[in-house]
Amino acid sequence: MADTIANRLSARRSQRTARMEGHAVALRQAMSPWWFLVPTLIFFVGYQVYPIFRVLWISFTDFQYLSDQPANWVWFDNYIAAFNDPLMWKSLWRAALFTIMFLPGTIILPLLLAILVDRVTNPRLATFYRVVLLIPAVIPSTLVFVLWKWMYNYQVGPINHVLVDILGLFTLQNAPQWLGGTPLTLPAVAIMEWWWGLGYHTIFFLAGLAAIPKDLPEAARIDGANEWQVFWHVIRPRLAPIMMILVVLRFGTAMAVIDEYLIFGGFNRASPTYTWTIFMYDQAFKLGLWRQGFAAAIGMIGAIAMMFVMVLLLRIFRPKG
Amino acid sequence: MTLEAQHRGVLPSQSLVTVRPQRNWFNQNRATVIRHVVINFFMVIILLPLAWVFMMSIKSRPDSMRGDFWPRKFDFTHYSYVFEKIDTLPINLLNSIYVTTATVFLTTFCAVLAGYALVHLRPRGGGIIVAALLVSLYFPTRVVSIISIYEIQDWLNLINSTSGLILPYVTLNLAISVLIMRSVFQLVPHELIEAAKIDGAGPWRTLWMVGLPMVRNGLVVVFIVNFVTAWGEFLLCTTLTNDQVVRTMPVVLAGAQGGLGQWSWPALAAVYVLVVTPGLVAFTFAQKLFFKGLMEGVVKG
Repeated sequence: MADTIANRLSARRSQRTARMEGHAVALRQAMSPWWFLVPTLIFFVGYQVYPIFRVLWISFTDFQYLSDQPANWVWFDNYIAAFNDPLMWKSLWRAALFTIMFLPGTIILPLLLAILVDRVTNPRLATFYRVVLLIPAVIPSTLVFVLWKWMYNYQVGPINHVLVDILGLFTLQNAPQWLGGTPLTLPAVAIMEWWWGLGYHTIFFLAGLAAIPKDLPEAARIDGANEWQVFWHVIRPRLAPIMMILVVLRFGTAMAVIDEYLIFGGFNRASPTYTWTIFMYDQAFKLGLWRQGFAAAIGMIGAIAMMFVMVLLLRIFRPKG
Repeated sequence: MTLEAQHRGVLPSQSLVTVRPQRNWFNQNRATVIRHVVINFFMVIILLPLAWVFMMSIKSRPDSMRGDFWPRKFDFTHYSYVFEKIDTLPINLLNSIYVTTATVFLTTFCAVLAGYALVHLRPRGGGIIVAALLVSLYFPTRVVSIISIYEIQDWLNLINSTSGLILPYVTLNLAISVLIMRSVFQLVPHELIEAAKIDGAGPWRTLWMVGLPMVRNGLVVVFIVNFVTAWGEFLLCTTLTNDQVVRTMPVVLAGAQGGLGQWSWPALAAVYVLVVTPGLVAFTFAQKLFFKGLMEGVVKG
């Protein structure tokens, strides 16, 4: 359709002077790639770029959805209010705490598993392992959360069933309460996220391992290196780029977790799941105050804090030389 | 190398004489055996929760409270029961199918056009777009922009509307989809596109006839990634809709409290199996293409 419009445009132009014609063709050639980018740009600008700048603007005003009054520009008042709120710092720390619990397991376990699966020589078995590994990755997020909500359930959940009835470590009275904003909630969510990312990250590392020529570790072994030395000096440096991407991306997702906390934690301010994302959501949608300006400031502070650390991580892990 | 091979070849045959063959087999393959045991341990951990839900969905109600993995009495009626007794269930399922299908097609459409144009039509300023898409992957856009997306949807009169969810859903994975399509289109030789152009095919025809067949694997990845996200989206759906009838199935399931009335545990599990199966089946069928595409698109991109 866009093509015919362009054709029609050029047809109209051809009635004008030849020099104009030359300009039109040049313009059309410069513009035609952009027709292909229009759908993407509409969505990307409309639902990602504009909202972010809009939230940035809101964070400097006393904007409220429900108010008829036009929003007033209040400069840094929302930011000052947020920085003076102890909950802001506490909620940022909680997000960081979750990230510290979650990151090591989600990098090291898949790395170990990938090194093991990489050495499976039977092609059928190797394919089977890969298919099973990707199964959690193709389960939609909410369904993963629902599944683990039931795993941790203290009535019918199999985890407490094993702990209480089979191993006898606890009785029904003191069985661990995993979810609902107890101190165990953050580790419980971290374990769930390990399960979710285990296969996907393993596939990532497997792709990295496949790119390492097989005679490199072989040569190191002949030179008398043990398995650990082969891993540390031959394999690890070559996996570093993939590891860097995973660490930075997972740091980003872990700091900005929100769905899990909405489902598992609720809006209790004392809960360890009340992180900056929930704080922002609470202020914007739940409290009934509809202080969108304040909520936007919380969101921007959280986002900028984590972007700062991500840039730092990128610098630390940047390949040397 | 040859020395090593000889060394390895000699040792087992020597020990064969002295040790019983069975023990010898284990000693020889100890590393392999341990490796497979560890791998299978992880496989079981991955599969066990899913197996548990499936078993739950075919247990009788008393068995569901007992906690044993294997039920004493099977009951397969939960699947028909949930359709009869939970009145919004068919609507929620249809909502999920509708929103997901629309999202997957729209995003794939956008991503294919954009990926093709960025690589083979080389627009001026394309680099800026790629950079913007990359930055958006690192910024917590989904979380922070929710405040303003609510405002946009309110302005478009799309609050509490199932169709309204499609617009923000398309954007959720748009950046990564465009980048995946871009990196698979980079594997298509530019000479091929040029040849089609010289033969008189316009850019649209070239894309449809020459480009698309060559990026099949990448398409499968974009399809599956978008399917998984749209099918299981939670944050936008709970924020932008209020009534159970307009919501998608996983969101309703997340809000359901087990054990009460129509939501008995086996009924919940039956709904879960119904919702999780389509994705798993699709993945199993597309698995080969998915892996190829993942290697081409995600890992190299």
